[in-house]
Amino acid sequence: MPANPNTQPLRPIEFEILLTLADGERHGYAIIQEVEARSDGEMRLETGTLYRALRRLVADGYAKPAARRSPSDASDAHDDERRRYYAITPAGRQVAAAEAARLARLVAAARSAKLLTRPAKG
Amino acid sequence: MTRPSFAERAWRAMYRLSLRAYPESFRADFARDMEETFLDRYRDARREGIPATVALVSASLADVVVHGLRERIHPHHFGYGMFDWIDVRYALRLLRRSPLFSALTVLTLAGGLGVSIFTFSFLHTAILRPLPLPGGDRIVRIENDAANSGGAFDVTELSAIRQSITTLSIVGAYVGADVVIGDEHHRRVLGVTAAEPNVFELTGTRPILGRPFRAEDQAVGAEPVIVLSHRSWELAFGADTAVVGTRVPLNAGFARIIGVMPDGYGFPAASDAWTPLSTEIVEERAPDRQSVNLYARLRDGASARQAESELTRLIDRARTQQRISAGLRTRTVVQVLSFPVAQIGDGAPWVFSALNLLAALILLLACINVTNLLLARANERARETAVRLALGASRARLVMQSMWENVVICVSGGVVAIAIAAGALEAINHWLHTNLQGNLAFWWVWHLDRAAVLSACVFVTAAIALLGCIVSARVMSTEFHAVLRDGGARSGSRREGRIARMLVVTQVTAVTVLLFFGVMSGAVAYRVAHVDVGYDTRRLLSATVELPRDRYDSVETRRAFYRRLLNDVGGRPSVEGSLLRAPLASISDADGAFELGASRRTFDAASPHAYVEASLGPLQSLGIALRAGRMFDVRDDERGTPVALVSRALAEQYWPGRSPVGERIRLATDSGRTDSRLVVGVVSDILMGAPFSRDRSSAAAYLPLAQTSVPQAALLFRHRGDIPASQSALYASLATIDPRLAPPSVQTFEEILAKTALIATSVTKLFAVCFGFALLLAVSGMYGLMARSIGQRTREIGIRRALGATDSIVTRLLVGQGGRQLGVGVLIALPLLAGIGVGFAANFPIGFATTVLSGVAVSATIVVVAMLATYVPTRRALAVSPRDAMWRE
Repeated sequence: MPANPNTQPLRPIEFEILLTLADGERHGYAIIQEVEARSDGEMRLETGTLYRALRRLVADGYAKPAARRSPSDASDAHDDERRRYYAITPAGRQVAAAEAARLARLVAAARSAKLLTRPAKG
Repeated sequence: MTRPSFAERAWRAMYRLSLRAYPESFRADFARDMEETFLDRYRDARREGIPATVALVSASLADVVVHGLRERIHPHHFGYGMFDWIDVRYALRLLRRSPLFSALTVLTLAGGLGVSIFTFSFLHTAILRPLPLPGGDRIVRIENDAANSGGAFDVTELSAIRQSITTLSIVGAYVGADVVIGDEHHRRVLGVTAAEPNVFELTGTRPILGRPFRAEDQAVGAEPVIVLSHRSWELAFGADTAVVGTRVPLNAGFARIIGVMPDGYGFPAASDAWTPLSTEIVEERAPDRQSVNLYARLRDGASARQAESELTRLIDRARTQQRISAGLRTRTVVQVLSFPVAQIGDGAPWVFSALNLLAALILLLACINVTNLLLARANERARETAVRLALGASRARLVMQSMWENVVICVSGGVVAIAIAAGALEAINHWLHTNLQGNLAFWWVWHLDRAAVLSACVFVTAAIALLGCIVSARVMSTEFHAVLRDGGARSGSRREGRIARMLVVTQVTAVTVLLFFGVMSGAVAYRVAHVDVGYDTRRLLSATVELPRDRYDSVETRRAFYRRLLNDVGGRPSVEGSLLRAPLASISDADGAFELGASRRTFDAASPHAYVEASLGPLQSLGIALRAGRMFDVRDDERGTPVALVSRALAEQYWPGRSPVGERIRLATDSGRTDSRLVVGVVSDILMGAPFSRDRSSAAAYLPLAQTSVPQAALLFRHRGDIPASQSALYASLATIDPRLAPPSVQTFEEILAKTALIATSVTKLFAVCFGFALLLAVSGMYGLMARSIGQRTREIGIRRALGATDSIVTRLLVGQGGRQLGVGVLIALPLLAGIGVGFAANFPIGFATTVLSGVAVSATIVVVAMLATYVPTRRALAVSPRDAMWRE
């Protein structure tokens, strides 16, 4: 039974994973690479950490294993049928959106407290 | 699809193994994906280089073990990331609280890690590291594997190689020689490498002053030129830059100094100078065909194995064509080796693996000792741990805290170990360069390098994993209700008892193997230093006389010189007895096919070697006695019947039960002679070949020097108590016979032996320190383990005694249990001892009896040590009265 997205905030790593999956199905190594690229190398997921988080997301119903790909679907060197892909579920999308909204509110509050300055346009 | 490399398969297997830290249900869902993800990351890291790979593998293995254990302990607990400052601070506080304990654990581990890092780094530099030259990994030495060839080839074979070789881009020849530079007032003997002009091109090194060789320097009749090493330039010419271009007296002639090589350069062998190898020698026009050593560069894309098979084919064809008339077929074995491996010999990979394995065993001993210390402290803290568990602390948290404690101990030990290894590497580098000045390969420069630091990372990670697993298992097994009810002594007792027994067995096995190896290498070093060569070496001096080919270009001039030298030296009052010996060949290899009477015998690699030597003068003067027939006499000159003497060992091998006197022998190595020789006598055995090599043998055939043609011979003579006077007598004789001849260096037999045994004795001393440390670790470790194990049973012992067990029954019980662990440890070690014993016996002059005696002595020592380690704590436990023991926690 999926947890209520409004009562159980996501941990940063889970949010990062859902954020990646929101863009499309990914296998484990692709998630590690995208998280690392998005954080400019600051967040480097270890394999054990990633899969424990994935297990929890799957158990909570926020993510699910996708069907294995056929060789014809392969679009990069790491893209083949040996790997299992993960996809975000509607519940996962909902909880990720809720977390994003929470973070946005926090950012707005930080800005109004003059802790953040708005980035210059152009 | 390409097959994964060995390293990839090995790391994959290790990763798969470490995934077992996760519960089975988790593995069923995710193990395959995790493995694939790890491999993706591994392949990317490989492209970035070795440091990135080591970092990835270390982090991945640690991550999997930690998360696996957490998943087992608390599947719903998610404290992501291994790193938590609170845990680290807690671990540091614990270590600070007991500084003596912390120092002891760190230093014990540092000792084990230091030995491992030093051994790996020393051997890596000596054997594995490519030459520090541009493209050094493709520069190779071509070795003739025939015994007694010294790895050298006949120049005709060099021509055959040059004509058709496709796997090598550059091939060059070189020989070593001594030359005398300077006039009669200031002269110095230099060890020179005569090499082809491409030698400097191959290594991509230019002289720091002047020019390298050119092709015209090699031509017959060209002005003699010489390129100095940096060291000779400094020592002999005071680093004077004006020396380049000047002419200096060289070997009674003159040569022009054309260049000075950079400091530390010494290719292809440690040399004081280089001269061009004459085309007369290379193109087979010299009066005697000479053997030359070969260096080469592998062509891009060609492997050493491909080059070996091509070279074997080419040389085999050349030898077959040459020897068809003599009817003697040849067998060719060629090796293409890196220079570092060629320097050590083809057993280098085995030496590397075996010594690293021994170092790893010492590290294992150190880890067991540290584990014991950590377990002892975990016992002391059992009540604290139980209280924390009872108050709701998760086991994951406790495991992480003990893991961080291990990490701090191991990393601190690693830092100290790196400092120890760096100091030891600098010290051995200084010692070897001081003692073997000018004779050490230039790539042998030991210091703390990248390989040493990487090896430290690997060893520290291994230590963390080993200690972490055992100590975590201890934390996991703590039954807090039992501890709170009964006290700390019984916490996790059953599992811990198993761990303690396992540690004792491992320790006994490791120390038995180490000690046996130490005793065997000590025995080899003793044999090398006290070798019995079969003749009287007292007051014996040796000098090698080399006749210049240009002035002694005929057999007659050489014979005349040797006769005059022997008569002149022998007649001087300060000299007693003299003999000329010239090694001709070995008849153990395919080249040494020979015929005994009607039957033709061909030695193979398994046959004992037999040496062929030319001699002039009475063999009795060396201490070689006649056993049958007669010695050489005046009849055995160049006009006489070709004759030979054989040693008793050779006679027993090929004429068992009968006298070889009167038999005929024909040697393929006998300067191309086709007629056979008459065996006229049998003489006593002496040891020939390097005394601790596989080539050693007492089987020998002697030919009269007058019936051979050799440009070089060793003069052996005895002094009458005054070495300088005998040396002067030799120099006076040489000056009388040929004033232009370079005076050879005169060495006592002890000096020759000390030089031969230097490496063996120094390596043994180094081993002795390592094995001494291992023994100390083992003794203290065994005592610690047994003392703790018996100490935990104090209450049980008290109950047994209260129920009527006598002291002797309790002692028998405990010593018997200790004895069983000891027996299992020694039993596991036995096959390893047998393997080591066979390895030593096959490669060194160590007899079966010495091997067995060493094995028995080592086992007996271990038994005594282990029994004492059990008996002493038993007595201590019995000293506590049963009443006190029963109330003890």
